[in-house]
Amino acid sequence: MLRGSGWQARMASQTNARRMLSTAASFLAVAAIVALFFAYKRYQPALHAPRLRVHARELPYYAFCSFYRMLAAYVIALLFSLIYGTAAARSRARERVMIPIIDVLQSVPVVGFFPAAIYFFVSLAHGRLGVELAAIFLIFTSMAWNMVLGVFESVRTIPTDSMEALDAFGASWWLKLKRLLLPACVPKLVYNSILSWVGGWYFLIACEIITAGPAEYRLPGLGSFLMTAADRGRTGELIAGLLALLAVIVAMDIVVWQPLSTWAEKFRYEFAASSEPMRSLGMLDALSSIGPSITRLMRTIFRPPLRWIVHLLSNRPPFDPAAHPLVVRTGRALRLALIAGMFFILAYGLIEGLTALIRTLLQPWPSATRQIPAATVASMIRMTIAYLISLLWTIPCAIYASENQRFARALAPIAEIVGSVPATALFPLIVLFFIRMTGGMNLASIVLILTGMQWYLLFNLLGGVSQIPADLKEAARSFGLSRIQTWRKLTLPAIAPSLLTGSITAWGGGWNALILSEYFVYRGATHEVFGLGAMLDEATYKTNNGVMILLTLLSMVLVVILLNRFMWRRLYDVATERYRIDY
Amino acid sequence: MALLELKNISKSFAHAQGSLRVLEDVSFTIDEGQFVAIVGPSGCGKSTMLRIINGLMPATGGQVLYQGKQVDGINLECALVFQSFALLPWLSVKANIELGLEAQGIPPAEREKRAGIYIDKVGLDGFEEAYPRELSGGMKQRVGLARALAVEPRVLLMDEPFSALDALTAITLREELLDIWRSRDMPVHTIMIVTHIIEEAVELADRILVLSAHPGRLAADLPVDLPRPRDRREEGFNALTDKVFSLIEERS
Repeated sequence: MLRGSGWQARMASQTNARRMLSTAASFLAVAAIVALFFAYKRYQPALHAPRLRVHARELPYYAFCSFYRMLAAYVIALLFSLIYGTAAARSRARERVMIPIIDVLQSVPVVGFFPAAIYFFVSLAHGRLGVELAAIFLIFTSMAWNMVLGVFESVRTIPTDSMEALDAFGASWWLKLKRLLLPACVPKLVYNSILSWVGGWYFLIACEIITAGPAEYRLPGLGSFLMTAADRGRTGELIAGLLALLAVIVAMDIVVWQPLSTWAEKFRYEFAASSEPMRSLGMLDALSSIGPSITRLMRTIFRPPLRWIVHLLSNRPPFDPAAHPLVVRTGRALRLALIAGMFFILAYGLIEGLTALIRTLLQPWPSATRQIPAATVASMIRMTIAYLISLLWTIPCAIYASENQRFARALAPIAEIVGSVPATALFPLIVLFFIRMTGGMNLASIVLILTGMQWYLLFNLLGGVSQIPADLKEAARSFGLSRIQTWRKLTLPAIAPSLLTGSITAWGGGWNALILSEYFVYRGATHEVFGLGAMLDEATYKTNNGVMILLTLLSMVLVVILLNRFMWRRLYDVATERYRIDY
Repeated sequence: MALLELKNISKSFAHAQGSLRVLEDVSFTIDEGQFVAIVGPSGCGKSTMLRIINGLMPATGGQVLYQGKQVDGINLECALVFQSFALLPWLSVKANIELGLEAQGIPPAEREKRAGIYIDKVGLDGFEEAYPRELSGGMKQRVGLARALAVEPRVLLMDEPFSALDALTAITLREELLDIWRSRDMPVHTIMIVTHIIEEAVELADRILVLSAHPGRLAADLPVDLPRPRDRREEGFNALTDKVFSLIEERS
């Protein structure tokens, strides 16, 4: 069930030299991307910040605004993941280039790119449209990567004989896509979509208030509503806003995700090891009655462009003796132009990014630069504490769920809902509470990081537990293993891969939370702790120092990449090699 | 006194549309030294019955008596062999076989000795340190068999043990199972095997219990007194096979 995607498929053990090389390359690529965005800083955006009205009456409108932002980002992420994921999975050569890029993008803290993305998009389109685009882009970056890896893995793991069966019938690329590739993606895509929406809400709340240098822009939406309400000390509105957010999330879960999950079950290849009777929901029947008409509509709209895209992407267009030579030649020319265009854009971006990088780094470095290593250590300590606290409650929870079916069944939906309430919405409350209690920001900051980490661990562990085959549990009981022996011999080894995937995603979420949690402005007062995230925020919002932003961001990216390559990736390889269930 | 006695066992499972009756009023006794096969169509609850005997799941009604005492919880005098082998993929062959011994708190040296004996008995020499995923299906089931034998149970319960194997491997393993059953130095003399392959039942068992389906009831209790070793081409063999087959057919 809930196992973050991506790492499973690539267990190719790399040699150290190649690891180093690819690490350096990916770091350089990210550095260039960051710098490219900052290159647009010279177009200082002039933003008119309308005063946001905080009144419960406005809530439906704000909820709608937030929702359409999420939906727009999701639709783009969906199309992107289908095209990118399928393309990467269908050729080894492409996979070697395309998947490491996603790996890096996935582990880099998106929040750090906020200001950069705003400069870029506001310079493209002025005013609210630019800010909207920036917000949608940021939400997109929090949604897309796991979906891409989900599609990639699904297409890659399609059994060869299924593919051969279609080939043997001389099926066209289009038919293969419709009958095999897309259906194969459904289970992982639905699961990853749920995760993506959770991540999306988290960022939405944080990114509706956009600060670009001295200007601040508040997009109408639930996130800015909550932040503004908290800032003005309007408790009633704050609670109303939280309830509205919760209502949207619960409604999404009941109306969309639960029926979709049930529906996705029928696309599974393997039968679940411990098969539970499928939950049937009244909602599903209702959906299936309006389903066909929607499908028909979608088909007429999307089929021609999709077919065209597929045709362009396919390596070997099906041989068609009736095709006119002109059509064939035009198709080939179009494909060539498309590839050339993409290369041109890439090369242009790379050169532009590198020059921007060098130009920025050639400026005088502020004295605060020397504190970066110490700040990194301070932030790492906070993250480690938050991680350990997460482990401390999620592992016992998962083990108990493995022993008690009723508990597991009751926990899953509750955790799903509670976990998808974006912690960013609760930040003002948490910070206030802890500052009042301890007088400082340190504990608050750790709790905020915790909210960005713990659910990934819990979901992955619960997923791992649900995958333990029923016959293994029976064998353990049948041979009279004690509770502790069962944990040692069966439960803990069985959840080791999920623990690693959970840890990797939790740290990814943690880095994002770190940036939001070390620096908090409330009623004009700034609460901060000493750390990398606070340094980045300070450079972004207070001093507006480009060199400092770039340096802190790059240090963060470097630490993330090094940790992933040299710790998590290795542990993951060991765990999946030794503890996978495939007898 | 019978070694094992089932008294009016019934079992139903909760289901979305009410409850599903799997077993109804099944009673029989098993004596020490018997080789009993349970056959029946799919869905007759034969695997469920094995799990009730082992204590893995409680019966809805009736009781299981072991040496005259009511069984409550797992009966460690029984050992179960699974159709899917149910080996722990992260443990070596040896560690898998030692699993039941470890559960009983037997010290490592003794465990190793005992595991060694049964590794030898089932022909797994040289594979002690291998992992299940490196073995063929037949070898995996040898591990499953050795793991069950190593705890030296009084009753060996086998749930379709050869159904996941290819026909040739199954023939070899059946012969080896009979060798183990006959050999004097093995503590296990009583075997219950669940199977849907009628020839397998006739070849191995000296008593066949036929279950009917929906719900599972005891349809027949047939002795098999064909001389051993049994030949599948013999007339008596075929006659009995046909008889069991027609019994199953008329009840389903």
